[in-house]
Amino acid sequence: MEDIASRIVDKAVSLGCKDAVADVIENRSYQIRFARNEAVISNQWRESSASVFLVHDKRVVATDIKDLTKAGEAVERLVKIARASQPNPEYAGIAKGPFRYARTRPDPKVLSLDEGGKYVEAAIGGAVDQGAKECAGSFWKYEDEHFLATSNGVEGHDHRASLYLSIRALVSLESSGHGIACATKLSQFTPEKAGQKAGHIASLARAPKAGKAGRYTVLFDPLIFGSLTDQVGGRLSAWAVLAGLSPFGKKVGKRVASPELTLYDDGSADSIGRKRFDAEGVPTRRNVLVNKGILKTYLHNTSTAKKFKTKTTGNAGLVSPDSHAVFVKPGDRSRDEIFSEVKDGLWLTNTWYTRYQSYVTGDLSTIPRDGIFHIRNGEVVGALKDIRLTDNLLHLMKNIVALGDEPEQMMWWGEVSVPNFVPYALIKDVGITKSAE
Amino acid sequence: MNAEMDLVDFAVDHARTKGATYAEARFEKQDPENFILKNGVLDALYVGHDQGIGVRVLANGALGFAATNTLTKSAVRGIVDDAVKIAKASRRKTKITFAQEDSIAMNWSVPESKKLADVPVEEKIAEIRNVDKEVTGLGFKLAARFFNLSDNRIRKYFANSEGSRIESYSPRLRVFYFLTMLEGAAVEQAARNYGWSGGWEGVSTWGLSDRVVEEARSMHKSLTEGKKSPEGKMDLVAGPQVAGIASHESCGHPTEADRVLGREAAQAGKSFIPPEGIGMKVGSELVNVVDDPTLEHAIAYYQTDDEGVKARRRYLYKEGRVTEFLQNRETAAALHTRSNGAARAVNYNVEAIVRMANTFVEPKDHTLEEMLEDVKFGVYMKTFMEWNIDDKRYNAKYAGREAYLVENGEVKHPVRNTIIELTTPAFWSAVDAVGKDLDFEAGFCGKSDPGQALDASMGGPTIRLRNVYLR
Repeated sequence: MEDIASRIVDKAVSLGCKDAVADVIENRSYQIRFARNEAVISNQWRESSASVFLVHDKRVVATDIKDLTKAGEAVERLVKIARASQPNPEYAGIAKGPFRYARTRPDPKVLSLDEGGKYVEAAIGGAVDQGAKECAGSFWKYEDEHFLATSNGVEGHDHRASLYLSIRALVSLESSGHGIACATKLSQFTPEKAGQKAGHIASLARAPKAGKAGRYTVLFDPLIFGSLTDQVGGRLSAWAVLAGLSPFGKKVGKRVASPELTLYDDGSADSIGRKRFDAEGVPTRRNVLVNKGILKTYLHNTSTAKKFKTKTTGNAGLVSPDSHAVFVKPGDRSRDEIFSEVKDGLWLTNTWYTRYQSYVTGDLSTIPRDGIFHIRNGEVVGALKDIRLTDNLLHLMKNIVALGDEPEQMMWWGEVSVPNFVPYALIKDVGITKSAE
Repeated sequence: MNAEMDLVDFAVDHARTKGATYAEARFEKQDPENFILKNGVLDALYVGHDQGIGVRVLANGALGFAATNTLTKSAVRGIVDDAVKIAKASRRKTKITFAQEDSIAMNWSVPESKKLADVPVEEKIAEIRNVDKEVTGLGFKLAARFFNLSDNRIRKYFANSEGSRIESYSPRLRVFYFLTMLEGAAVEQAARNYGWSGGWEGVSTWGLSDRVVEEARSMHKSLTEGKKSPEGKMDLVAGPQVAGIASHESCGHPTEADRVLGREAAQAGKSFIPPEGIGMKVGSELVNVVDDPTLEHAIAYYQTDDEGVKARRRYLYKEGRVTEFLQNRETAAALHTRSNGAARAVNYNVEAIVRMANTFVEPKDHTLEEMLEDVKFGVYMKTFMEWNIDDKRYNAKYAGREAYLVENGEVKHPVRNTIIELTTPAFWSAVDAVGKDLDFEAGFCGKSDPGQALDASMGGPTIRLRNVYLR
């Protein structure tokens, strides 16, 4: 496979391409989806392909080659298309290698795992023990292997494997909870704990009453706080800033969050999103994005870095830079302490459907789902339903008043797109709205 | 694609020999092409050639699915073995069954007057550059703008163990644009999406330049003349785009039978409509909402679904009541009915699940003028920007992009960020007039795990809602 990546690059260069990147990927992932406490389908993928990026006379083209036996022909076709395309004057090249990469290997026990039923059963069992009636979710064994070559001297290999489980437990349609388990080592995979958390929240959320609109102090569970920090990570892509899809434009060096918040992106750290290198082959590393509330940098590839007169952060995707994994520096509050700080407020556990009225201002709304609780003097005094969080991303970040001391790895369908390591977060003055009577 | 068809037939036969009680295989070849023109610069051109085979089997009452893009007999044998093995490992207590459907042998394709494959990329880029030139020529302060033009040519061959053999070809075309306009400290953003099943001739049906120019002018007017939207109970005249998103979100999604039955509970959610909810009242008698995959040239057009079932029009809500769920063969069996051809997959490497196609409010006979003239005080919301809905599809929000105050039947100044935040029954029960100006937008509909962002369209005519709370 390494040969194929190099051959693609060599072919592109021989056809006059200034820059070429080929990432040959083998995907051997396996999944069990479950609902109503049983598997509904099991999926197995055995795919190999090459993601290719070519630049011919500043004309940037990309493709995915699925038939690797005809990779040469695909490159010829792509170069022909590139010649007919138009130059991108903002294109500034790819990183110059070679690079040295961290020595990371996937857990052999994860690699050899070929049956996930017992993990699904453990998760469902954990939820049912807490009172759940109905569980649904997914178990994943992710495994992919990358062979990267570039025309700037990069050759890299990265074998990634991890385990993931997402479970939603329901007592009834309106009483539910969600739990997540992520691990790169089998010994650290805790599906039963995820099920217990989902089941516990679902049981606590029995007989919810309609919530009321207003401004509240809100305790964010790690899963929903991860949705917010995932937004921060995604909106810090320099591409998003240039496209009008970010509230962080012209804010480097300025306050964008409370002093409580220090947030970094780190593709090199142990997570289910760990990567040895980005799409240009630049080794991944820790990049502090927000330090004590001050914005330090956007996420860059070589081209966006040049436009912003800085250096790549090692976050290149094929076209636009993206976050690899978001980490929030934990605070100093234990779970009990951060709950006890809520005198009269809400505890939100999950959300979905985050949408912006203006990406530039950060005005958004998102719909809490699963357990929503009224908290008084640190105690749950009732379950709520049918509310919407209507606020502004910067306002939310600036109003963080405390963070928990135990970050958890969160990633979830649609809302938390990359791993986010996040603790509980206490945010004041959060806008809550609801459907009109 | 004879060699690939042989592999599909082999997969189905091999699955039966391995103990599958039902098997289907689908070969797909997709040739997507797309580019982004961002702030006048061609970011990158993407040209794909995607192909592979997916196999789904029922074994021991459980489903297994496996996919490969290595198109050899040994690779296909391998995924069939995988699919049967993982299905049998499921150890389900309740056995999955499929509703009985006719086997079909057919070959269908979407007419393509000007073949997408024959249109040079230069022509496609020039088309979008012209639109960009027109909108920048207006002289407004557009802080950011991007256009994404994409097309795809999808060839499929489907076979199942009941004798169905279906070939199909769907060319599709789509444009998305996103504008950001500034005026002092104020900002206005707009996003739109138009689609077409067919060839390059679809571009001329959109009237893209006119739409984008009109959009930019309305954004400028909103920024310079817009006032705070009034708060309280009043009438709402909602344009086709608003009617369309509401039909998709609060009619189409809650009537997906897999959602009703809980199969999507951990991802896209469930439904406020229970399995026994056919006949449930959700709106006024004027509300008919249809999902129709046979709508010619709509982006989600098809004649047979990805389980080989013939497509047909479905009335989701009729005269304000739930009439029909969207079904695939699995959900239809569970609900003791027949599939209505709603099973679709985004590509060869994912299972087909229950999906909407082209969902819309059925038009009636009012003109816009007739609807406005009866409004003493209210808002005319032509388009929206932000929207969302909860996972049981009950509490929805639509935030206005282009909206105007209406007083005594007259359209006055623009109002900014009008918010509709209503329950599904409250929204549809307030409808007292339905127009005849049917219009559509394209969208990507998200569902399933792994996520399948699928071509869909949504539309409607202008509709009037009486005495609803806006802010």
